[in-house]
Amino acid sequence: MAALLRSARLLKCSPTSLLQVIGNSKHAPAAGRLYSGAVGTTRAGLCVRQTVPGRLNTNSLSSYRSALPCLSCRQYGVVPEQRHLVKDEPSVAVRSKQTQQFDWALAKLDSSVRRTGRVTKTLLLRIFHDICRTGYPSGNQALLLLRSCGSLLPEVPLTERIELSQRIWDKLQELGATYDVSHYNALLKTYLQNEFRFSPTDFLAKMEAANVQPNRVTYQRLIAAYCQVGDIEGASTVLGFMKSKDLPITEAVFNSLVTGHARAGDMDSAENILSVMKSAGVEPGPDTYLSLLNVYAEKGDIAKIKQTLETVENADICLMDRDLMQVVFSLTKAGHQQYVTEIVECMRHERGYVPDAMNLCLSLITHGHEKTAFSMLKSYTGLLGDSQTSDSPDLGNFFLRHCVNMDKSVENIVGFCRDLKDSGLHSSPLEFTLYCALDGNKTGMAVDLMRSMKEAGLPIRPHYFWPLFIHYQKEKNIPGTLQTLKAMQELGVGSDSETFTVYIVPSFPSVDSTRTSLKEAGIDVDPNVLIATELRTEASRGNLAGLFSLMSSPELSRVDLSVFRASLITGFKEFQNVELMAKITELLYKDPRFNNADPETSENVAYFLYNLIDSMNKTAVHSKEEQLREYFGLLKNMNIRISLNIFRGIRNILESYQAPELVKDLLALVENKEGLESDVTLSKGLEEKLDFLEKTLAELKAEGKPVSSILKKVISVLCAEEKLERALELKTQYESDMTPATYAMLISLCCRHDNAEEALKLKIELARKDSEVVLDAQKYVALVRVLSKHGKLEEAVDMLKEMKEKDVQLRDNVIGLLNLTMNTAAMKGDANTIRRLQETVFTLGLAKPSSSLCSPLITCYLESGDYAGAFDASVEVHKKYNQMPKTHELICGLVKKGDAELLQKVMEYLSRVRGEMMMLYELYFAFLQTGRYKEARKIIETPGLRARPTRLQWFAEKCIAAQQMETLENMVDMTVKLFECDRDDMYHYLLRLCKETNDWRKAEATWMKMQEENLAPRERTLRLLADILKNNDKEVPFEVPEVWFEEGKGQPEMFLEQEVKSNPVFRPRKGVAASPSNEATVDDYKRKVLSLCKKGKTQEAYDILKEADSRNVVLGPAQFDIVIKALLAQGNIEDAMSVKNIATNRVPEFGLSDNANNLLIISQVKKCQMKDAVDTLKGMLKADQVPSRLALTRLVQSLASEGNTQGIQDVEAMVKTLGSIDISSMLFVNNTALSHIKNEELDSAVELLESFYLQNTENQKSSISFVFRKVLEANNDAVLDKLSAMAERLCNHFASYRAATDLFLTYLDTGRTEEARFLLQRCAAVSEQKDAMFIYMLRAAQQPGQAAKIKALSELIPDFTEKENIYLHLVKSYGIDKDFGSAKALYERMQAEGVKADELTLKRLAQLYKEAGETVPFDEPPESFRFYADKLKNRRKSMELADN
Amino acid sequence: MAATAGKKVFEVFVSKVPWTVATREIREYFGQFGQVKRCLLPFDKETGFHRGFCWIGFHTEEGLQNVLQKDPHIIEGAKLQVQKNRKPFSERKPNKETEDI
Repeated sequence: MAALLRSARLLKCSPTSLLQVIGNSKHAPAAGRLYSGAVGTTRAGLCVRQTVPGRLNTNSLSSYRSALPCLSCRQYGVVPEQRHLVKDEPSVAVRSKQTQQFDWALAKLDSSVRRTGRVTKTLLLRIFHDICRTGYPSGNQALLLLRSCGSLLPEVPLTERIELSQRIWDKLQELGATYDVSHYNALLKTYLQNEFRFSPTDFLAKMEAANVQPNRVTYQRLIAAYCQVGDIEGASTVLGFMKSKDLPITEAVFNSLVTGHARAGDMDSAENILSVMKSAGVEPGPDTYLSLLNVYAEKGDIAKIKQTLETVENADICLMDRDLMQVVFSLTKAGHQQYVTEIVECMRHERGYVPDAMNLCLSLITHGHEKTAFSMLKSYTGLLGDSQTSDSPDLGNFFLRHCVNMDKSVENIVGFCRDLKDSGLHSSPLEFTLYCALDGNKTGMAVDLMRSMKEAGLPIRPHYFWPLFIHYQKEKNIPGTLQTLKAMQELGVGSDSETFTVYIVPSFPSVDSTRTSLKEAGIDVDPNVLIATELRTEASRGNLAGLFSLMSSPELSRVDLSVFRASLITGFKEFQNVELMAKITELLYKDPRFNNADPETSENVAYFLYNLIDSMNKTAVHSKEEQLREYFGLLKNMNIRISLNIFRGIRNILESYQAPELVKDLLALVENKEGLESDVTLSKGLEEKLDFLEKTLAELKAEGKPVSSILKKVISVLCAEEKLERALELKTQYESDMTPATYAMLISLCCRHDNAEEALKLKIELARKDSEVVLDAQKYVALVRVLSKHGKLEEAVDMLKEMKEKDVQLRDNVIGLLNLTMNTAAMKGDANTIRRLQETVFTLGLAKPSSSLCSPLITCYLESGDYAGAFDASVEVHKKYNQMPKTHELICGLVKKGDAELLQKVMEYLSRVRGEMMMLYELYFAFLQTGRYKEARKIIETPGLRARPTRLQWFAEKCIAAQQMETLENMVDMTVKLFECDRDDMYHYLLRLCKETNDWRKAEATWMKMQEENLAPRERTLRLLADILKNNDKEVPFEVPEVWFEEGKGQPEMFLEQEVKSNPVFRPRKGVAASPSNEATVDDYKRKVLSLCKKGKTQEAYDILKEADSRNVVLGPAQFDIVIKALLAQGNIEDAMSVKNIATNRVPEFGLSDNANNLLIISQVKKCQMKDAVDTLKGMLKADQVPSRLALTRLVQSLASEGNTQGIQDVEAMVKTLGSIDISSMLFVNNTALSHIKNEELDSAVELLESFYLQNTENQKSSISFVFRKVLEANNDAVLDKLSAMAERLCNHFASYRAATDLFLTYLDTGRTEEARFLLQRCAAVSEQKDAMFIYMLRAAQQPGQAAKIKALSELIPDFTEKENIYLHLVKSYGIDKDFGSAKALYERMQAEGVKADELTLKRLAQLYKEAGETVPFDEPPESFRFYADKLKNRRKSMELADN
Repeated sequence: MAATAGKKVFEVFVSKVPWTVATREIREYFGQFGQVKRCLLPFDKETGFHRGFCWIGFHTEEGLQNVLQKDPHIIEGAKLQVQKNRKPFSERKPNKETEDI
């Protein structure tokens, strides 16, 4: 994000950091020399230009990896126009929303630029569209878009880019965006980057007309524009003008002049610029030389290029690969491709090379030099070798795709493909290219490619043509369809019935007309295919008679049911003619053409029946019950049989639909009914269940019947109850009936009880019984843990080996357990055990060596104070597993101990394996940590050292977690001058810690420091600060979101001066007090209105607006809208409406924006003007606006509280017309019910809710908790009784559990635990609604004060999820509540029960321990909370993916 | 509640299916491990390409085990990702909780 933040959120960018930039860019080469001298590292760190946090020079959108085809576009100056950029953001009320949208767009673009150095046109257009759709675009949104229209679009031809930028410019202006000088400068930049010829004078005139004053950057870019076309005279005029205005002439200007002279044909003067620069005191920089190189490239003067490169080298100036790529581009464009290789050879392949080279390739292709692009591609594919070890390499996809998009000749493309394939770079280039062509609907190219593929011996399949057909189908383009079919035939691809039914026939009016058209076009089709198509078409139309005659026709050959099953189901669902249905089913069953298996064993028809019933919902089954019975009856008479298994499946559906009669009819089709009676399910209370089970077990055993399944149930209950002894007794008693699963449960129980002997005994017994049995990973590792803990190391290792043999996968959570095992050993100083376990795990490949898995060994030595041992262990672990955990702890220990000799060794080792920079950081942090600030400062001030945000963040998070204020403060102080250090981040860390410790004094001091440093913090930082102050009842010395308006005060003098100088138009503003002066312009009014709105001075804004109106000054729609919104945000409907009247008088087409209308609805609802609110909604829908969720919710809820059922229904009907909108259907159901209740129409409410759940099983997922909650809140017992009875009825008679579950959870949530318990007794099935319980817990654990509820829930229904899960969430809850006592008790309980905690939970626990000032009894996971939360999230995601 | 179509469904979920293969090729490939009962490879009706994943149901547990034991699965040079299907597709009924008002 930072890359763009620096550029786009201008006002949040610190002036100091800019000042610092100047300093740095001047001194960078010097620093570089020092640096390389001092620590002898690579040159990568020295190229300051690339990341200097200036505004125009180096933000990501304008030059981050930018600018291949652009010349002279790096400027160095500090630009003074920053303050006026955000000035037209809308009012307070919608500000946050717009910030969000802006952030979203920003994040999208930023991540694209970061990853690839480019933006795709699609992405840009999408963001553009979104910004337009949401109403009035803000100034920085406009800027963001404009900046993306230049060289960040290497895939888009120049002319198209220009059109795009022009379109964005015009459209946003039309929507009310106000442009200032930065926008004009951005536009100029796109002109330059896109080599657009324009008239600088016209441009200036345009600015003047808009009353925008050009500044230095504008002039610089105009000079560049003149120079681009070799117009030295024009450039000189501007230059003279700049001089007369006393504007500094920067390096950028000289660089442009180099280009200018050269393009004017005067190479001597171009070369001479360098000495002119020197005499003017400006040192030629890398960009100067780059300009020179580029002009030589244009001339094809390779000798001069080489000579210049040498000069550059000698001058200790660093040209990056990206620069050389510009030279390659210039050479190629000027037709001197032959020299490209020589330049490519000079490249050093530094970081970021690949994306840059990709962009060069794309630009070259766009400009028609695909062959050069290809040689470029080949030149760097070798670099990717390492990362591309997979079996199917696919290098060059981007290249091929762009060739397709640019419609390059198939001949060339096929040549590239062949080359890629032959050189092993791409496993299937032709297939991929074809994919692109199909995706882009390029029929001609696709067919040509397929021809080449065929020649290459690759298969061509019918579905390759589907994307093309789909495209023609959408357009009903018959000639296109026919032409593609012809191509298909020509390529020898037979079209199958799928192709015909889905992709071809729908383009025609009918199957017959398809047949005719094909014949006319001379296309032969396999008649069978057409028949299958006909089958499907007839079936899905429900023409069963036609279908039957087709199916029974002797001409028909074999057709698989799967070809038309789906269509058949569609046709059957209507039940128009049951007799025909049965006949068709009979054919399916008996006719070998449809069923070549033996009808007795085939499940063809059975499955079909299953699918048929499954596709019907409950209502359909009930309404067709008669027909279904008749149908089943007919099938029985035809001797059609189905298997028991599938019967069960269908029965389950039917039972869930409450259609028991149908089940009976269906049962008649089952031949072998054995095994049906065992399907009885049990659902009883736990204790009861246990008694019952044990009794049954004994009875069955006495009768000599098989008991293993019931034994398993008993033991599972005992395990859940943690009754180890009883479980073991039972095991001995029924040893012969133990199944592997039962053993597994017992083993796990033993491990939990830390009983190594018994666990091992069971494991051996199990293996003896069945050596193939595989336990799950968790159980194996639990065994390993308990065994190694009790000194049975060899047995533990055996377990690991067995895991490997049986291919048991280790997931993250289990790895955590493994880690815990080793940490336990570390605490005991048992290095031997750790080594052995690590070795086994890693050599077997059970887990990849990770930092956390490797750390216990080091911890082991550190714990005993054996630093030499710890270092040796570190080296050992690094050599063996390439991990370096616990370095920080080791170095801290050494520093504390003062063991300089060993420290030196460690540092040498670190710098060898991790690099100088990392070594320095490690040392820095160790000094900080141990309070040796002087030494720390020396390290961090090492010349050439640059900020490593992730390292700094790591340390800051550590300080925050451990609440080390002094340490953190020192770090923040020392990094003031650190190159590239994000100061706002630093202060944000500091404030976060202040917030944790609630230290408002420190926070206030931090605020002062930030001012001293002249830092303009980001909003989040200010909000945090304000929060801390407010919490302590201190006055907040700034307006929270509006602070940046006050910024002028805090800015350095120089900045202000420049600002006034270059922007005289803004001068009068300084003097403006309450109202604009007499000669105030429209713009002044606009600005004033906006600024007042933003400051929350709505009334003043309103007054100014009225004043403007009285003076006949017409403001824009944006201003009206903002004032209206601001007034509405204060609930002032009347004034808002009078503004609206003014607006409509002035701007006839004016209407309230979406957001304004939403606010209006909310205000009206608040004032109980319900009729007006509904009318407003109507108006919105008429104007095609989308009401917000909040507005709708408020409206409907208020209607309900008035008992206005009709109103709710009206709103529902209106909203439905909107189609899909982010709103729950339950809003209406629940509130209608409440409305009934309000009107004392209890029966209607009950009826509504009851039928809601009964009508559609889908509705089970919708909650009516809201209703229960409202009723409970109102203490309305009569209503509660009725609703509760309804819930029970639904649950016990209709197997619809949702209502009872909701009621249960509502009881629980409102602290009515007893009621919840009673309900549970009455509706036992509620305890099976585990998903709902789980989700309840998830949500509860996110808010403070909910731990008791989670606990109550887990006591009422102990088995709703795994114990682990409950504990994890409880820990989270305690964490939020800062309830250390409970957390500690819980942790001890977890320990006792052997329940493992994931890293995030451990982290939470550790924090609680530390806050309470106790030592953490386990090894705190080293990374940040964020890290582990993300890790968990990723794991869940991957599991979900597997689900779907 | 939810329909269980006979508990014994032996299914795998396959992802990273290359666009060049369709149902026929997938069936053929997985046929080597056991008789394939069904194969669902959804095609996108908007684009005409399939979505890159599919479900394969075997007649027997053996077929399922055979598939799961082999790794990697490579079809026409592309590596498929095969995993046991946690929720059989015949049962894939919406069962997710949603937040309601």
